[in-house]
Amino acid sequence: MASRRRVVLTGAGVISPLGNSLAEFHASLLAARSGIRRLPEDVAQGSGVQVGALADWEPGALFSAAEAGNTDRVSQFAVGAASQAITASAIDLERENRERVGVYWGTGMGGAHTLEASYKHLYSTGEWRTRPLTVVMAMNNAAGSNVAVRFGLRGPFANFSTACSSSAMAIGEAMRTIEAGRADAIVAGGSESLLTPATLLAWQSLRTLAPADAADPAASCKPFDRRRAGLVLGEGAAAFVLEEESRAAARGARILARLTGYGNACDAVHMSRPDRGGQVRAMREALSESGLSPDDIAYINAHGTATAVGDVVECQAIREVFGDRPVRVSSTKSLHGHLLGGAGALELAAALLPFEKGMMPPTAFLEDPDPACALAHVALHAQAIERPRAVMSNSFAFGGSDVVLVAEQP
Amino acid sequence: MATLDRIKDLAAKEFSIDASKLDPAAPLDSLGVDSLSFIEFMFKVEEEFGINVSDEDLKGIKTLGDLERHVAAALAAAGKG
Repeated sequence: MASRRRVVLTGAGVISPLGNSLAEFHASLLAARSGIRRLPEDVAQGSGVQVGALADWEPGALFSAAEAGNTDRVSQFAVGAASQAITASAIDLERENRERVGVYWGTGMGGAHTLEASYKHLYSTGEWRTRPLTVVMAMNNAAGSNVAVRFGLRGPFANFSTACSSSAMAIGEAMRTIEAGRADAIVAGGSESLLTPATLLAWQSLRTLAPADAADPAASCKPFDRRRAGLVLGEGAAAFVLEEESRAAARGARILARLTGYGNACDAVHMSRPDRGGQVRAMREALSESGLSPDDIAYINAHGTATAVGDVVECQAIREVFGDRPVRVSSTKSLHGHLLGGAGALELAAALLPFEKGMMPPTAFLEDPDPACALAHVALHAQAIERPRAVMSNSFAFGGSDVVLVAEQP
Repeated sequence: MATLDRIKDLAAKEFSIDASKLDPAAPLDSLGVDSLSFIEFMFKVEEEFGINVSDEDLKGIKTLGDLERHVAAALAAAGKG
């Protein structure tokens, strides 16, 4: 039997509240610089949402004014992150057989800005006219399709929409697709851009969003802390180029990491309340697939949204899988907020810091750890780590979808 | 501004083409304008002039010149011309 086809990450791109490149994103995480701010009045309007994490995005470098006007922000982010990832990978698409290069994308809500603009106009003016591009701008697969069109990637295409695990699932399934021989390279990741007044109101109604921290709005998201008050919504995108290992090696590509484990399980218990069982199964499946033991995992980028229940359940699940091992854990959502459909991809990018810089990013603002969340936290400041063999990234979604990725030192 | 100039401005913005290079007699598909882009452009033309172009009339519009004549007629019919 031929040896297993293995998958490596050869390029990454980031559009985020912490900067619009992998390097800027990593630098902000290491400095524990928060991208969470008070939301401007025109964004929050009557929603009651006080804080959010907006990307500082200027489409002009990639889109003409007309193209930008005809492309939802979530798709602009996708093209931005994918473009960076492709450039960083140094893959020569002109020479590749692009029928063997695919796009696997994830997004929770797709073109939220487009839909909201359309409905707002209809219902506020009573004028039943909407722009003809509404469907193709708002549809959930538009973000990934814009990437495919922009770069002429004609291989397998898939779009995943499993709320907060969407982009982690896109990356995991892309890995499996390459392993199965159905593609040689896939641009995989996810994007989200739903900071619109009505969407914010819907989240606010769930009573799960953190209010502004009285002293410092940038410190409003406090995962694992006794004072945690809920999640903070963010926007942005992250993308990776995944390639079959021998092909990447043959072209002398720089390898960011080897992607070796993917776990996918469903709680099947409740629409919003997370359940330890599914999380444990997803972590164990990812470990099993990678052939690693819990001892090999040096760092976990937790889902850690800073909700009262969610953080406790995840910590229990991690303890069930890792026992008393001192695996280091942080939630970088404290700094970039919750990118929902883009979260898994962005947090995999964060989880590569131990390989890239020998450093683990912190859970910022974790001054008073909740005993119910007892773990070996990387609290407040980044910490050094020596020769990490492997890292894990958790993404646990509304709807009960649990996705775990394991990446190994190249 | 003359009707044709307003149409040219809209087309220049929508299709990212220099307005001075737009030939009113050239078929729009020769500019690389596909059917979806054309429909979106027509939506903006309707907004600009406050008119409605029927599906039937839309089929007869192949150039910016055709469009100018159509808009002028619609404005005249509405007493705006």
